[in-house]
Amino acid sequence: MALPLQAGLTPMEVAFLCEMEMVTVVPRQRLESLNLLSGPTPTLRPPHRAPLPLWLALLLKRQRRANILPPPWLLPSSLERILRHETETSPLAFSPPPPHPHPITSRISPTDHISPPFLPSSTADAPPDYLPYHWLELGEILLEAASDDVPEPDRVRGLLRDLREVRMSKMRGSVKGLEGEGGGVSKMTGVGAMEVSEGRGFILGVLDGLRKLGSSREVARREREEEEGGGEGSEDEEMEFE
Amino acid sequence: MDISDILQGLGSRPVDRDPFADGHDDPFAADRGQQSGQADLQALTRVWVNERGAAELLPWPRDGLIERATNRIKQQIELVEQMTGDMDPKTNFSLIIIQTEVERWKFLIRSYLRTRVSKIDKHTLHYLSTPALLERLSETEVAYATRHQQLLHNHYLSSFLGSFPQNLQNLNDTAGGISMISGPDEDAGVFVRGLGSRDVGGEGTVVVRGRGRDGDGEVEVERGEVVVARWSDVRDLVEKGEMELV
Repeated sequence: MALPLQAGLTPMEVAFLCEMEMVTVVPRQRLESLNLLSGPTPTLRPPHRAPLPLWLALLLKRQRRANILPPPWLLPSSLERILRHETETSPLAFSPPPPHPHPITSRISPTDHISPPFLPSSTADAPPDYLPYHWLELGEILLEAASDDVPEPDRVRGLLRDLREVRMSKMRGSVKGLEGEGGGVSKMTGVGAMEVSEGRGFILGVLDGLRKLGSSREVARREREEEEGGGEGSEDEEMEFE
Repeated sequence: MDISDILQGLGSRPVDRDPFADGHDDPFAADRGQQSGQADLQALTRVWVNERGAAELLPWPRDGLIERATNRIKQQIELVEQMTGDMDPKTNFSLIIIQTEVERWKFLIRSYLRTRVSKIDKHTLHYLSTPALLERLSETEVAYATRHQQLLHNHYLSSFLGSFPQNLQNLNDTAGGISMISGPDEDAGVFVRGLGSRDVGGEGTVVVRGRGRDGDGEVEVERGEVVVARWSDVRDLVEKGEMELV
């Protein structure tokens, strides 16, 4: 009964999460609003567009009750620009994630701490030229279940594969940054969910291995700093290493 | 004990006050009166992903999230049972949609509870050893852990411990400065995402105070940025809701 899985989401679980992303559908049949657990669905009335979670959009698509509008970033022109950014503009870092649609204001709002898959990063009015967190899964799912809705599906498929290869080598290369610098925190800005799921075992394995190898050195350093710091609080010491 | 027993027990559990509720950690404090289903789904998804990512057991949500979600599912299943009465092809498809969604919620809750059970199984004595750690378990989980440990201890006693000298029979010895009780690796690496904080500037940057081999440092993590860090360095930020595991 206990879950026999390691820490960290499996690719299946990542895909499950991805199915919560909102996409835009064009219904081909009327469907009254349904009172779901996560709130009422919009009334579907052709040919008016409506936002729906991906799992529901797929259900409608398989029954030919709706078409899915691919997000702007999944168009070949946008993917090509992202690929160029990944290879030429920043050959080491991932391309940046889409900007947060709800900036933090002085008023506390429920959108302050919202994160993927609940950000509208794959609807028809999402910004182009940014890969959202669930880009790979979403692209693959749409190409598999709704390839007739995606313009130039073969080119998109090829571009997704190119992006994946470029980014996988960056993911492996990021291991060099794990060597204790920067206070043991390394940034993976722009990384995707499936890439985290795939790279987790390797990256965390390296990180934990390095930590165990360097633990005596780390303890020695901390003791030395403690002596040098004398009566000062440990917080002051940490500031020096910024 | 079965998952359904735990789920059943949850329904009857009184809703406690959230010990961590001091405003900013509860993203939906504004509509606290009537939590919307969407807010619950987001909260449930977050506790599930956090629990799946962390090596140690995270605090049980004390705002009644799991109880609310279980009740919602129960009501929805009753609705489905009513709807199956009139077999009209049009409601039939609606029924499929509603049932699919119920299954998705059930999966979330089941996977969440099973993840917690596997962590309790792994380090039962550790979580039972201090009141602070015990506080993280729900009532049913405390009952489960206690019983689990009892059975295990009795089994050990009857199979081999009983023939040991009295002073070697303890399972929680700390002689020689080494505790027999092993816990999860608190320094294990995790992938975390900055969710935003109200403390620094207006951009919602979260400051992680990290400990590295060659130096400690402060790293500013922007909203939506994913970093690799030691769990012990980000645990407080995750519990405050300023970061989440991915």
